[in-house]
Amino acid sequence: MAENEINTLVVRKPCFGLPTGCTQCLSAYLYLKFAQLPFQLDFHLNYPDSDQIPYFEVGDYVAYNNEKGGVTECLKRDFGVVDLDIGISSLPDWISTKAMLTTWLADALAYELWVGFEGYSSSPAYTIYYSDLPWPLGKVLFWRKARWIKQKHGITNENAELKKEEIYRRASSAYGALSTWLGEQSYLFENRPSSLDATFLAHGLVVLQALPESSVLQPKLLEHGNLVRYVQQCKTELIDASPTPTYAWHTAGSSSTSSRSTSSSKTKTKTKSKPKREKTEEEKTFKRRSKYFVAAQLVAVVVFITIMTSFDDAEVGLDE
Amino acid sequence: MTNTLNHNAAQNDDVVHPEPEDDEQEDEEEEDDDDDDVLPNLRTPQSPASKLQQQRFKVETLARRLSSEMVPIRVHDVLVNGNTKTKDWVIEAELKGIETATTMQDLMRACEAAIARLQALEIFDSCKVRLEPGPKELPNTANVVVDVVEANNTVSGECGVYTKPSTSSWSLECALKYKNLLGYGDIWDTSLAYGGSQATELSLGVYAPRIKRLLTPIVARIMLVSQDWQEFSSYKEQLLGASIGLISTKHHDLVYTLGWRTLTDPSQTSSRSIRRQLGHSLLSSLKYTFKMDRRNSSIRPTRGYAFLSTTHLGGLSPDHRSLRFLRQMTSFSAVFPWGQGFMNKTSPLPERFYLGGDFSPVCTLGGPTTLWGFKTRGLGPTEPRRQSRNRADDNNSDSPGWDFIGGDLAVTAFADLSFDLPIKWLREHGIHGHVFAGSGNAAKLTQNEYKHFSPRKFLESFRTSVGCGIVIPTRLFRLEGNYFHILRKDEHDRGKTGFRFSFSAPS
Repeated sequence: MAENEINTLVVRKPCFGLPTGCTQCLSAYLYLKFAQLPFQLDFHLNYPDSDQIPYFEVGDYVAYNNEKGGVTECLKRDFGVVDLDIGISSLPDWISTKAMLTTWLADALAYELWVGFEGYSSSPAYTIYYSDLPWPLGKVLFWRKARWIKQKHGITNENAELKKEEIYRRASSAYGALSTWLGEQSYLFENRPSSLDATFLAHGLVVLQALPESSVLQPKLLEHGNLVRYVQQCKTELIDASPTPTYAWHTAGSSSTSSRSTSSSKTKTKTKSKPKREKTEEEKTFKRRSKYFVAAQLVAVVVFITIMTSFDDAEVGLDE
Repeated sequence: MTNTLNHNAAQNDDVVHPEPEDDEQEDEEEEDDDDDDVLPNLRTPQSPASKLQQQRFKVETLARRLSSEMVPIRVHDVLVNGNTKTKDWVIEAELKGIETATTMQDLMRACEAAIARLQALEIFDSCKVRLEPGPKELPNTANVVVDVVEANNTVSGECGVYTKPSTSSWSLECALKYKNLLGYGDIWDTSLAYGGSQATELSLGVYAPRIKRLLTPIVARIMLVSQDWQEFSSYKEQLLGASIGLISTKHHDLVYTLGWRTLTDPSQTSSRSIRRQLGHSLLSSLKYTFKMDRRNSSIRPTRGYAFLSTTHLGGLSPDHRSLRFLRQMTSFSAVFPWGQGFMNKTSPLPERFYLGGDFSPVCTLGGPTTLWGFKTRGLGPTEPRRQSRNRADDNNSDSPGWDFIGGDLAVTAFADLSFDLPIKWLREHGIHGHVFAGSGNAAKLTQNEYKHFSPRKFLESFRTSVGCGIVIPTRLFRLEGNYFHILRKDEHDRGKTGFRFSFSAPS
């Protein structure tokens, strides 16, 4: 079908003026925009606790986010998408910036969304992840995630305040470091877009657009004018320039064949390695045969008992 | 569909047998009463022999009267003895017909029926009904006294093998029952079931024959069900929920289910439409079943007809985000000349129709989802599973596989002609032969597929199979050894021509 052959990035719900409210999904979206790969968006709204989302699909091919370094790494390897990190990903500053973005800043935002607000429905996490689930399901999943975050940071009733301060302090330091690093440049590394730009911009957009005024994290980001400018510029160029995605299915305007033709030819392959698969098949056959054997034995016994019982009944009948 | 291999805790079955003696006792007392009206009180002492003779004479007189005429009687009072835990009204509710009996014959029949109903509650070790003479000033009256002995062992275990036509599989179920906890005749049970498609179910249920004025029994259940469809459709299903039986009679059944359903794909190989359905959903649904079975036998029907209609409506909650669907399944089978069923569309993945399975459509009335020769979920709309773009090795030409995604409209039809075999021994045991033909197809209608649907294409793509075999009916199930020949199947259907054993239980 024609629809299936279109590059589709499946993400979480669009909200707060963003194509998707989830930072991981937005990061993948921005990377593909930087890489100038034409694609359209689709939405998967009832699976907030899945680590597979965002995923990219075209035809029968899917790249999940929980495989091989993330959806963008999969696309670079399998789909021939431009690797924007060439030449910079081995730099020491790259590694430390990446660590800062994926731990301190990501943790701070997650803490704010799931633990930082009083009620379930007052948190932006409700709108982004749970608003399309019925109330009891959403509430239980939200509570489960909040408990997981508290366990991850070792937060208890006694040390809650201390932990909170520590998380936000780290976020502040991270913003300061990034602001100093960015300076007046347009991008973080060598004045060209990279995957870390996509990661930070996604974080920045959610902090600035989705968090309410009562947020603790938002003012910390607003202190750094160049970071705010950087985020706003991205929003103008990449997001406001594209039409706002809606729930309705929309057909892609541009053709998707240009990038496909550069990819390696389609080979039908197994997902598991060959020797492992053969062993599993042998085991399966053996198990199936043993099940048939046991079932046949059981049936024979039951039939025997039933027929013998009916023999006895007939004999008793004769006696009477 | 409840054929079981039962290992019940001891139940007293001999309550009915003392009945005739009790009756005689009652009759004698009645006769005393009657005789008192006729003869003056002779208080002279009698020898045992003459006493016996007099009693025999009374019994013979009564027996003659009962066999020749309607003996009028009126029930004055109904008394219940022996229940320490069970509420009086629970027992009294099973004694219908006794108070309104106007003749001795009616009264005895009503008493037998009452004893059977009380025993069916499974909370008593024994139930006896005695008739005693009514007050002297009211002639031709009797008091009915019900003596019950509550079960000592309130805990019992049960193990059984059941059929599940909806998934065309068997399941082994072990249950622990606790009887009469609250004195309402309630039976609480915890059960663990394991079945085909690695389906496991852990549930806690309660059954109460009645609550005060409500006419139907209360059946409620909390369950955790998990099913593995990874092999056929690349997903696993989990349901945590509760169901309440609202109406349950011989022909009508209404059940409300509220549950949290989760679909996952740990293998990450699912096809597109299944991938999009993964996640959480709230199931709030009412299922109404109307059943009429006028076949003379469910193992080997030779006469009659059966009709089953199931309407399943989902989305009954104020929250518009719960799972909404309407599923209608109608199954009509007549033993002669043919049976046909048709179903309508629905869209949530577990509510679609999956054809294929090992059960014989002849005796299974759970919906004609089986088609001879095809495996479970073995035919219908398919979608290619995920393809990897990883460079592995060039020699590998295996396809990634296909998911059976189910249909929104399914039609099956079957015809089965059975005949007796020439050998007398086989005939005596009901072993017979049969030739059969079956046909079926399922189509997807949702997501604008109905625009591409054409009845002619649908008819042209019907899968067909024929075959012959031997049927060995036993008391519990129907064993068949059949040879199938698939006349028409699609490229990805899982059906094979060949010989196969199958056994199915009647429902």
